[in-house]
Amino acid sequence: MNINLKESATIALNALNAHKMRSVLTLVGVIIGVTTVIAVVSIVQGLDSYVKNQVLQFGSDTFTVQKFPNFVTSFEEFLEYNKRRDLTLEDMKAIEERCSLCKAVAGIWDRSRTVKFGMQSIEDVDIRGVSVNAPFMGQVMELASGRHFTETDIDHVALRVIIGADVAEKLFYGRDPLGLELKIDGVPFEIIGVAKKTGSFFGQSMDNFARIPITMYQRMYGSHESLFINVQAPNEAQLPQAMDEVRVIMRARQHTPYKKDDGFALETAASFIDLWQSFSQGIFAVTISIASIALIVGGVVIMNIMLVSVRERTREIGIRKAIGARRRDILVQFLIEAVTLAGAGGLLGALLGIAIALIISKVSPLPAVIRWWSILMGIGMAASVGLFFGIYPASRAAKLDPIVALRFE
Amino acid sequence: MGTSSGAATSVEETRKDMGNNGDRPLIVTEDLWKTYEMGSEQIHALHGLTFKIERNEYVAIMGPSGSGKSTLMNVIGCLDTPTKGKYYINNRLVSELSDDELAFIRNKEIGFVFQTFNLLARATALHNVELPLIYNGTPAGPRLEQAKAALAKVDLADRMTHKPNELSGGQRQRVAIARALVNNPSIILADEPTGNLDTATGVDIMNLFERLWEQGNTIVLVTHEHDIAAHANRIIHIRDGRIEKDEKVR
Repeated sequence: MNINLKESATIALNALNAHKMRSVLTLVGVIIGVTTVIAVVSIVQGLDSYVKNQVLQFGSDTFTVQKFPNFVTSFEEFLEYNKRRDLTLEDMKAIEERCSLCKAVAGIWDRSRTVKFGMQSIEDVDIRGVSVNAPFMGQVMELASGRHFTETDIDHVALRVIIGADVAEKLFYGRDPLGLELKIDGVPFEIIGVAKKTGSFFGQSMDNFARIPITMYQRMYGSHESLFINVQAPNEAQLPQAMDEVRVIMRARQHTPYKKDDGFALETAASFIDLWQSFSQGIFAVTISIASIALIVGGVVIMNIMLVSVRERTREIGIRKAIGARRRDILVQFLIEAVTLAGAGGLLGALLGIAIALIISKVSPLPAVIRWWSILMGIGMAASVGLFFGIYPASRAAKLDPIVALRFE
Repeated sequence: MGTSSGAATSVEETRKDMGNNGDRPLIVTEDLWKTYEMGSEQIHALHGLTFKIERNEYVAIMGPSGSGKSTLMNVIGCLDTPTKGKYYINNRLVSELSDDELAFIRNKEIGFVFQTFNLLARATALHNVELPLIYNGTPAGPRLEQAKAALAKVDLADRMTHKPNELSGGQRQRVAIARALVNNPSIILADEPTGNLDTATGVDIMNLFERLWEQGNTIVLVTHEHDIAAHANRIIHIRDGRIEKDEKVR
């Protein structure tokens, strides 16, 4: 049987080589199927490690209190959440005062505005009103120069601003911005700090911001929007207790009856990762159903070409049978050919999928992680398709009557 | 010729009828019938044939086309089973075996030589000769040796790596004969072996058969040509599925 295996694989590969165009056309379904799966797997794997990395920077000991949950799945839900009371600075202060397991609490409001320095301006800068603790929770905001806000800045509603690396670059071209005047919506702010560059998330710069005292933000824009409250527990293990404590405080403040749901959302990095995972599983499910269609079509084409091959080689089958090949020998020979043929398509598809994933990660913000086992997976997938769709042609070959087969012209 | 030296196979049933009585004829048929249904009509390709072929006989089966000689050859070669009657090779009752058991018998007992050579076009001469050994599971080492030895017997030791289309007709037929010999079969069954060859090459091939016969092989030759049949030492004439004449010659 072992030589049979080698021989059959060689026959299949020689046939592939001899009819390159026909082979590619034959295998196009399998190649598309495998390419899709491998490309999507690589991209999703890339996103996966990227998201985990980025989200964990938020801090595994930190959660947020917010009006809307991170994901709202329907408009009805949105309307329901929209009825909730906005979170305010008072809520933040209440948590700060009453929560014993909360190590640090910070409030954040933000919106996009245009900032100006002299005649220069940048649009769509993320203006954030922050409290003192905000830069130190989760991923710490490090400064390239200057200083952070102090309680005094917040209490005195100071016209002071800390800018992101992008804003510093675009407005000041290497000049030291410290002490200079930045205008936000026409209001002049003194620049007291410049943050270090942190890079981008999904192609969006994380350095295009200006942070101002949260009290100043409230004065300029009012408090018609709900506040994001970040809360840090002493450690990851005590996160659930801290969340429970905050929940009790917030429910008391909102006078929520015993059996009613919370009028706010608590979100953690873990809950975001869970959401991402159910989302990526969705992507996989869709991909696999698309790829299965391609693979089934590819399998039918392989079955067809194998039937042609069996017919073309009827005489060969007759010869083999005459000199002692059993049904099983012929069956195995043609199965190996089908598997080799499809497996070659799988290899091609896997390489193509990896190439596409790499190209996508180069030209778009989507990252890709190439796993070398995905090549084996691609070949394996295609080979199983070949095996399944090779059964019918191979059993046709195996059942041929040697007398008829030998007479075949 | 003894029994083949190939490796044993799992087809145990075929061994049940196997005595070790070397005195019995190599081939025994008892009242062989082969009947085809053509609509409502029954056509008897074999009409109750009974004959024996001894070891180391050189038999020609002759008959015009439609006489049933091809059917007889298929039955003798275990490519086909009779509708009725018994057929023994080497004391084994083979007339009622399954497909795979017949394949085993063909591999062990029969060496086919066809009019159209029937070599695998894409394989080398050596690989073509190896093929029967592959199917009985002979390990690679002995297989290669046996195949080379068989090619040497037909004077083609220097053409082993050639493919059929690089060989002359006579050389191709000699590769086919080497393939038939490689498993040391009980019978060499040749169907019009010179039909596709010119006269001179045909004579060469017939001389080769003569030599193989002298070396102890049993040869059954199916032909419609008198001068080819004349090489044999016994001629069985078939007509309408019956033995018309069974004569010793030479």
